[in-house]
Amino acid sequence: MSFFHRMSRRTLVRAMIALPALSLARKLPDANATDTGLPQADPNEIVEVNGWILKRSDLA
Amino acid sequence: MILDSYEAYRATGFRPKVCILGSGPAGTTIARKLGAAGIPVVVLEAGSREFSDESQDFYRGTTVGDFYFDLDITRLRYMGGSSNHWAGWCRVLDKQDFEPKSWAPDTGWPIRRADIEPYLPEVHDILELPDFRPDMPISDDIRWVQLIKSPAVRFGEKYADELDRSKNIAVVLNTYATELAGDGKRVTSARLWSNGQDAGTFSADYFIVCTGGLENSRLLLWSNQRSNGGVVPNAAALGRYWMEHPTFEGGNAILANYSEFEVDAVNEAFFSPTMAAMERLQIMNFGIRLIETPYAGVKRLIADLACTAPDAAEWAAYQLSQNLRCAAQLYVAWEQAPLASNQIELSKTDVDHAGVPRIELHWKKSELERRTLVEGLKLFGTTLIERDLGRVRLMDWIANGEAYPTNEETAGHHHMGGTRMGTDVTRSVVDANCKVHGMDNLYVGGSSVFCTSGQANPTTTITALACRLGDHLSKVVAV
Repeated sequence: MSFFHRMSRRTLVRAMIALPALSLARKLPDANATDTGLPQADPNEIVEVNGWILKRSDLA
Repeated sequence: MILDSYEAYRATGFRPKVCILGSGPAGTTIARKLGAAGIPVVVLEAGSREFSDESQDFYRGTTVGDFYFDLDITRLRYMGGSSNHWAGWCRVLDKQDFEPKSWAPDTGWPIRRADIEPYLPEVHDILELPDFRPDMPISDDIRWVQLIKSPAVRFGEKYADELDRSKNIAVVLNTYATELAGDGKRVTSARLWSNGQDAGTFSADYFIVCTGGLENSRLLLWSNQRSNGGVVPNAAALGRYWMEHPTFEGGNAILANYSEFEVDAVNEAFFSPTMAAMERLQIMNFGIRLIETPYAGVKRLIADLACTAPDAAEWAAYQLSQNLRCAAQLYVAWEQAPLASNQIELSKTDVDHAGVPRIELHWKKSELERRTLVEGLKLFGTTLIERDLGRVRLMDWIANGEAYPTNEETAGHHHMGGTRMGTDVTRSVVDANCKVHGMDNLYVGGSSVFCTSGQANPTTTITALACRLGDHLSKVVAV
């Protein structure tokens, strides 16, 4: 008997409903981490947006 | 003495050594210096004591290139000259304005600012100025500079009594030179026009042309044409390198502490770049003037910021709640690069009532100047961020790289160049003493001798140069 045949229909439906929420349990990159290998945006970088001269952190 | 016609002047039997053409800030200042030195001088003033349409009509002309003011609106032709509509803003050109700049051809003067500094106490008396405070750097790139608004001295009014009482100075109204005659070494005579008619010829040992930043070139171009090169023997640069101060509203700023910059009596703050910033960005000098934004404008500005940077808008709203005066319009006036192609020519088709060709002014702003405007505003905005002083928004036409608007201030009514000072006779008209190259007795006063324009209004520098020329001539003429 296969794995799915051993599960009740109710258990299977509950698992499918819960599936999207599993991504919340993934380990997300730390916003403060510096060893991700990706370039980090400097919050003090000067940017021009819609004619405004701003620093990047102004855009938060 | 002051006389109303050349006929009345001739009746006095006055015998001047020096003839000054024009009674504006330069002409009046030089006349007073010579008079004080005991040298008899006649000042020929084309207009009368008051404005008249008939006199003003001689100033009509045309402009080719960028939009510019009507040439009979941007200057005045009566006693005191264009000081009669002067707003009164004062500041001498910066030290850096006299220095050559490798990124801008034909910059640099044959004199330095130190050469006119000894005359500044005199200039302060003439223009009724308090002392200037030193420039204050707010970063490595931006200086907080001071322009002082003088009582806007009207030279014709202020000095009328003094000139009238003077035994050494004769001011002849309604009289001017339509042309000078020369032999390539000296001006030999001037043809005069007085009260609407030809008044014959006139001679003096020395002639000083002080008719204004447009008219000086016109008179010398016409005289030279009539004398087959005998008035300005080296005329390659005559009429060329003409400059203005382009002036536009460049944007807005929200300021954390507006009152920090309101220490001057006029309650307006001005900012300019350091020489290091100009060199790094390869731009010209500029002045950003802060003018308070009305409350409704501040709210619109913050609403606009909220669409782009909500947190920054929250900060700005807090500033507004603490102080209703927290935003400014940014007016930018900047230095034009001296270009030979910006020039005064004589019209080939249009003459005034005396038969003198009118001016055809060729004037165009360059790419270097556009970069000065854009980079200057960005530099100011960056400095405000780095010093935690505020935020800047550029006008849409600047941020989007669009054409200059034609419904704004446009320029400062500052007419500079055309008879510029220099040592190279192919690129200048007068020497460091304002004497026309190759001529023994012909000098030029006023902003037409400027090599570069800097960002400051020219009257203070014009007056300082006039004091210097007056001192120089006092020694030369007395010999």
